[in-house]
Amino acid sequence: MASTTTRRLPLPPSRRARAEEPDAEQTAVEPYRLTPKLARRVALLGGLVVIGFAALVGRLWALQVLAGPHYAARAQANQVRSVRVAAPRGQIVDRNRNVLVTNRPVTAVELWPSGLPKVYSRRVAELRELAQITGVNVRQVTRLILARRQMGDMLDPVVVRPDAPAPMLTYLQERAANFPGLTLARSYVRKYPHGALAPQLLGYTGQISPPELQAFGKSGYAPGDVIGQTGIEATYNKYLFGVPGAARVRVDSLGRPRSARTLTTQPQPGQTVRLTIDTGLQLAAQNALDYGIQTARNQGKWAADGGAIVAMSPKDGSILALASSPTYDPSVYTGRVTTRKLKAQGLVGTPAFDKNYPALDRALDATYPPGSTFKPLTAIAALEEHLIKPYAFYPCTGTYVSPADHSHHVFHNWDKFVNQGMDLPTALAQSCDTYFYRAGNSFYELPKDRGQPLQKWARAFGFGRQSTLDLGTDVSGTVPTIGWKHRMYTKATDKNWQIDRLWKPGDSITLAIGQGQLLVTPLQMTRLYAAIANGGKLVTPHVLLNVENPNGTIVPTTPPAAPRPVPGLDRAYVKVVQQGLFQATHDPYGTSFGVFGNFPGPAISGKTGTAQKTVHLPGYTGEQDQSWWCGYGPANHPELVVCAMIENGGEGGAAAAPAAERVFAKFFHVQAPPPIPVKSD
Amino acid sequence: MLEYAGSQRAGLRNERETPHLLSVARSLDWVLLVGVAALVLVGLWGVAGVTKFAVPNDPSYYLNRQILYAAVGGVVLVVAALVDPDLYRRYWRGVFIGTATVIAFVLLIGHAARGSTRWIHVGFFTFQPSEFGKLLFVVALAGMLAERQRVVGAWETTLRVVGLGLLPVVLVFAQPDLGTALVYLAALAAMLFVAGVPWRHLAVLGGLVVIVAVGVLWAAPAAGVNVLKSYQQQRLTCFTHPSNCPASAGYNLDQAKTTVGSGQIRGRGTNGSTQVNLGFLPESQTDFVFAGFAEQRGFLGAALLLGLYLIVLWRGLRVITVARDLFSAVVAGGIVVALLFQIFVNVGMTMGIAPITGIPLPFVSVGGSSLIANLAAMGVLLAIHARGRVSRGRRAALSGRG
Repeated sequence: MASTTTRRLPLPPSRRARAEEPDAEQTAVEPYRLTPKLARRVALLGGLVVIGFAALVGRLWALQVLAGPHYAARAQANQVRSVRVAAPRGQIVDRNRNVLVTNRPVTAVELWPSGLPKVYSRRVAELRELAQITGVNVRQVTRLILARRQMGDMLDPVVVRPDAPAPMLTYLQERAANFPGLTLARSYVRKYPHGALAPQLLGYTGQISPPELQAFGKSGYAPGDVIGQTGIEATYNKYLFGVPGAARVRVDSLGRPRSARTLTTQPQPGQTVRLTIDTGLQLAAQNALDYGIQTARNQGKWAADGGAIVAMSPKDGSILALASSPTYDPSVYTGRVTTRKLKAQGLVGTPAFDKNYPALDRALDATYPPGSTFKPLTAIAALEEHLIKPYAFYPCTGTYVSPADHSHHVFHNWDKFVNQGMDLPTALAQSCDTYFYRAGNSFYELPKDRGQPLQKWARAFGFGRQSTLDLGTDVSGTVPTIGWKHRMYTKATDKNWQIDRLWKPGDSITLAIGQGQLLVTPLQMTRLYAAIANGGKLVTPHVLLNVENPNGTIVPTTPPAAPRPVPGLDRAYVKVVQQGLFQATHDPYGTSFGVFGNFPGPAISGKTGTAQKTVHLPGYTGEQDQSWWCGYGPANHPELVVCAMIENGGEGGAAAAPAAERVFAKFFHVQAPPPIPVKSD
Repeated sequence: MLEYAGSQRAGLRNERETPHLLSVARSLDWVLLVGVAALVLVGLWGVAGVTKFAVPNDPSYYLNRQILYAAVGGVVLVVAALVDPDLYRRYWRGVFIGTATVIAFVLLIGHAARGSTRWIHVGFFTFQPSEFGKLLFVVALAGMLAERQRVVGAWETTLRVVGLGLLPVVLVFAQPDLGTALVYLAALAAMLFVAGVPWRHLAVLGGLVVIVAVGVLWAAPAAGVNVLKSYQQQRLTCFTHPSNCPASAGYNLDQAKTTVGSGQIRGRGTNGSTQVNLGFLPESQTDFVFAGFAEQRGFLGAALLLGLYLIVLWRGLRVITVARDLFSAVVAGGIVVALLFQIFVNVGMTMGIAPITGIPLPFVSVGGSSLIANLAAMGVLLAIHARGRVSRGRRAALSGRG
């Protein structure tokens, strides 16, 4: 019955096909057997297996045996990476090869961003812990990593802490497994054997920033390079930087090193930059500044919160000392730079104001009214323009009123009780204001077609423009002219601008004694006195003596321009001024006779300056005197020009002159006698 | 259906239902069993090398786990070899629904987690249902084919089986797991083929596959419809146009070829294999394990591995021919072709002769689900072989008596 039931089932359309097979009828009885059809199909599958495996084995043979060496080489190349090896930075030395800036080996804590855990929470946990151990802000590390990512460089480590102390290193080494991505690397940071000596001049270094990298990218710098940021470090970075070497290191696919570095190209250490600075004199200048400031403060009425001393050779313009006060310790820029450290040195934020901006190089980058130290220039200009005769007597009175001045403004002499005729040297020696007021008025009264000769001569001696110092950062200052006043006073500046913009007699009169709107840098003044000392040649101030290779050979550099005579200057007139400056220090009525009259070394010539400036300082408001003294020695054949300026330091003879004297004493190897207090201008 | 006692059919049925454990053991395919055992050992040897530096300070972390999985898989294999495969045939609907439900569940939790997942976490153990699905869907679809074996030449049968078979394909594809979906498709095709579906049906289906493939890979993206994820698309098209391949997609293939090639004849050993140990080879423990194995053990080791695969596949194909019934034959066909497909695509992709899809290498890739599921499938093959041999002997005895 079962079989009939089976046969009665409606046959599907493929019944006919089935019927062709011999055992089709038997399927119901013997449900399953290996049919030839199935055998054929299994054989086909077998063929598929054979073809597939033939392809696999053939390909395997081709890759491993035939192309094996090629791929082995590629695998080798895969894991070897060439890395940059920073060259030790060159030293900065003084003219006697005393080291001013050198290197100190440190161990840096570095982090490979690609080696950090991939899980966010674990990555953050690691960064937190690392930050806590190294004492670095987490956000700071994160910012470094992000900055690196923006530079498109994820295969170089980020420096978390450039100089880790030994206990921290031991701690981290023992727990290296807890900090994936962390490595310790040897490197160098700057070292300043003399501490806070001339940091404004020497400058500091720092890691290259993305904008700097864009700007100097073509000069071969790479992310992570340490370059000079200011001063000598920045200006002569190309010598100091050296040539980075290359090393091969085995890395994994994330770029993390897995082997020690093998040097392939030795880095070439940076070249030594030798400065014209004399460390001894620089130290003396720094101490002299402190002394001058202290002297001024002892008088009680002066803020005396800063100053500058420039000591220069009048022969060639090489600078022997360039001091600026207040100063700071540049080592805060080495290793781990923190805002707290910078604030402690007054380099950022409100402490910078409180400490009166120690980063500012007052010798180059700050301007002051020069006061009477400017009078030699007025003298030369008046002589050249034949407004005065050198040995003719002109009245020196207590007050002066310009006949051209309709407001009849009374200009006072610093000494109200003087009333005598003076020749030019005496007027310079006694610093007679009214003598120079008269000269200033003569400049004012010149016919229009004579131009503005006082300003012209000021520019000829380097005022109102950069001093062509090889640092290239100094400021120009201001020499007021008719056009300049006209441009400066506009509707936007003040209500009486139409009156204020006019050049009035008072402008010429105050300019003649270095007041009014004249602003100069101590370096510019030094240049003027160098020109007087050397008989009228304008020097090119410079601090670079030469650049030396590590093996001692000299690297060719562009020499500074040779001293060049001031065009149209009559040397005879310079001699007259020299005489006046000599009398100022040697005649008993000279303004700095009290300081230099008994100087034990060679004769020093020089001029005091006391320039009024309205200031707003904590504790001091109103007029404060800028204390100046500029001069040179020996008087007959000068070897050194010194210009000292004490900011808000009072009278030139009382603060700046004693400071300058100490520099001369150091230079001429003599002991400076205690100064005799004298009233001066 | 009425049956009279003592009929041949009743005898067959009787024979089907009573397991003869002793005769099952006697008629085991020892070559297949030894081949599988050797394959597992070689796989562990490979894992030991490839994962040596994967976990810092613990070279045998993955190896220990893999040994545990192999032990569990061995037990599963023995059980599967002893269970009468006819049991699966009878309950194929249950198997199908159950498996489809679990895979759909994976898909749902994947969506709930706003990501993709292939795993289910069961206490300390996570398992990947789609790996077991390879075997279970083969069994279920074979059951359906066996039920309709009389009308196996009909379009209706073909379409029904394909229709049902596409459900798991779509579910796995949506996980998204393109590789496993392709394995399912290969197994489906093999089952239709072994079941005796006429050539013209196969030809029509093959044509459809080509049209769909062209549509998905070229036409649809051109029309702005992306069926595949962009990385899947890239991997597949990179294979056909290696020259205009994006760097990220090309990197894997490039590194894989370098890894295989650098092994040369003798291999670079477990310490010297920089491609694996320094992480240049991606997915060196799972999808690209063959490349790592080839780098460390060289041509000799890789050829040994391929040779063992060949033995297992040969014995697997032989199992189809000794199968006792259509169901067993179709199951064996599905298992063997799925295995072949996985081996070819996985090994081929590391050498640039197959598209890159995320398929683990059977018996070698690190992962419990894959190893246990593959051992279970081998157990089923062994069971089919043993039952086929016993039944054939019985049949021979019966016919001799009659």
